[in-house]
Amino acid sequence: MTNAGVGGTSELSKLLAFVRRDVLVLLSYRLAFLADIANLAFQSVTFYFVSLMVNPATMPEYGGTTASYMAFVGIGIAFGAFMQIGLGRVVSAIRNEQVLGTLESLFMTPTRPLTLQVGLVVYDLIYVPARTGIFLTIVMGVFGVRFDPGAVAPALAVLLLFIPMVWGLGMLGAGAVLTFRRGGGIVGFVGAAVSVASGAYFPLDLLPERLTAILALSPVAVAFDAARRTLIGGEGWTEINGELIYLGVSAIVSLAIGLWAVRAAILRERRMGTLSHY
Amino acid sequence: MIEALDVSRDFGSKTVVSGLDLEVPGGTIHALLGPNGAGKTTILRMLAGLTSPTEGTVRVLDGDPALREIRAHIGWIPSGDRSFYLRLSGRENLVFFARLYGMSLRTARERTDELLEKVDLVEAARQPARLYSHGMQKRLVIARGLLTDPPVLIVDEATHDLDPVSAKNVRALITEASSSGAAVVWATQRLEEIRSFAHDVTVLGRGDVRFSGGVDELVKRALSRTYEIQLVNGSTPLPLIASNLVGLAELSEHPFYADRLLLHLGSGTALSDVFQGIERAGAKVHSCAEARSDIEEAFLHLTAEDNDD
Repeated sequence: MTNAGVGGTSELSKLLAFVRRDVLVLLSYRLAFLADIANLAFQSVTFYFVSLMVNPATMPEYGGTTASYMAFVGIGIAFGAFMQIGLGRVVSAIRNEQVLGTLESLFMTPTRPLTLQVGLVVYDLIYVPARTGIFLTIVMGVFGVRFDPGAVAPALAVLLLFIPMVWGLGMLGAGAVLTFRRGGGIVGFVGAAVSVASGAYFPLDLLPERLTAILALSPVAVAFDAARRTLIGGEGWTEINGELIYLGVSAIVSLAIGLWAVRAAILRERRMGTLSHY
Repeated sequence: MIEALDVSRDFGSKTVVSGLDLEVPGGTIHALLGPNGAGKTTILRMLAGLTSPTEGTVRVLDGDPALREIRAHIGWIPSGDRSFYLRLSGRENLVFFARLYGMSLRTARERTDELLEKVDLVEAARQPARLYSHGMQKRLVIARGLLTDPPVLIVDEATHDLDPVSAKNVRALITEASSSGAAVVWATQRLEEIRSFAHDVTVLGRGDVRFSGGVDELVKRALSRTYEIQLVNGSTPLPLIASNLVGLAELSEHPFYADRLLLHLGSGTALSDVFQGIERAGAKVHSCAEARSDIEEAFLHLTAEDNDD
């Protein structure tokens, strides 16, 4: 009997196995990879021309600096990309494994459910920051957008709390996909709705006042706003202290609900005997 | 190594498995035999921890198979083709799964190469799995099931749709694992393969256990009502004899011997009544012997009501 690892160290090496798998799959889709990078350039160009039509007077101020639309939307898109992984990719990855027929085989290995969830998107967790980096480089290098270099650390702190918060929501979605099979569509809709209603592409102030007040409480909107205040307005740790606490609490609650949802969904599938059904 | 005690499984109002008792010690192959829908796959999934029983207990290696620690030692060989990443080669698929079993990249590669040779997939090892034939994918599934050299193997229809040579090779691999001490549960519809392969058999029909015991014992359970007869006057036309046996028995030509006939007795018919009918047709019975009990007869008898549907 060969040793079949269930220890913590081997769980880490399993993540590397997932990365390797996804790189190999990517190499078999070279054109798709190039198309994605080209798409990124086209997206930047599109938003640049949209920014030319936007009246600067309608743009909000951060730390006394009026944001340019390109800087505003650049942050929205960068954070939105992480939201897409957390919210959409976990769900679509599980769905993909279900359709491919590999989910059951994955569950038969002695791999922790959390390792599986992370493993299914770990490649994205590496690729998306790189992709976002390329996007921001294009935005800064080609379109002359400037971010405050001193604000990178607090902005990263916002991002680091933002990711587990949306990850928890993604796990909730993954639980829905395991249970309802077609949950991916709902999750996609929710993701798009959250992006729009959190001010990724336009200032929330443009919406009716009451709606703005409600939407501003969304942790996603809070994260977007805090990131802009640091990167555009140059605000530091002290000014975004409250937002960081708010995001931290949201992340804990979201992760707790998400973990519970996935665990409950797996237990239900075992009870029902329908893990491999899709 | 594998134990199931009074296990039942319902899906909604439908009972798929009822009152299953199973004990498979190491070094033995236990066949689950039954027609489609008999509950074989559900039983395997419960033994693998993928489905929980509605009632009863399943224990594998003295633990709950749903636990990671136990699952690590179960070789799961599902029946479907769809369980691989089609863009990856067969070798890369196995290496990936080997690493999820905790092997280092180097060990995973070595073990994969070893198994690819065993299942005769060395030449196709670097081809994408999407180019594999049905038989090749089956062999790849078996290689994955053997990755950790597991003490427990759960095998679902591994030889289904395979050509006789491939099927024989697959059975040889499983026999080898069993000889090394593995407890094997093998679900199949192929009657002929359990003889001289499995040690014990559970015959299932609509989720009920119709028989459980040794394969030889199953053969003895065959309640044959078919006889081989030889006639003194072999020139009497068969239809003429048959017309004198209406309501008593049916006659047919023997598939292998031209001078013999097969006599299928109706329920409650006495042989003497049949002999009289044959004599009325102008022939005489020279010899009469019960057709050899066969595993197929036993199976058909045990699952008769399922096959009538």
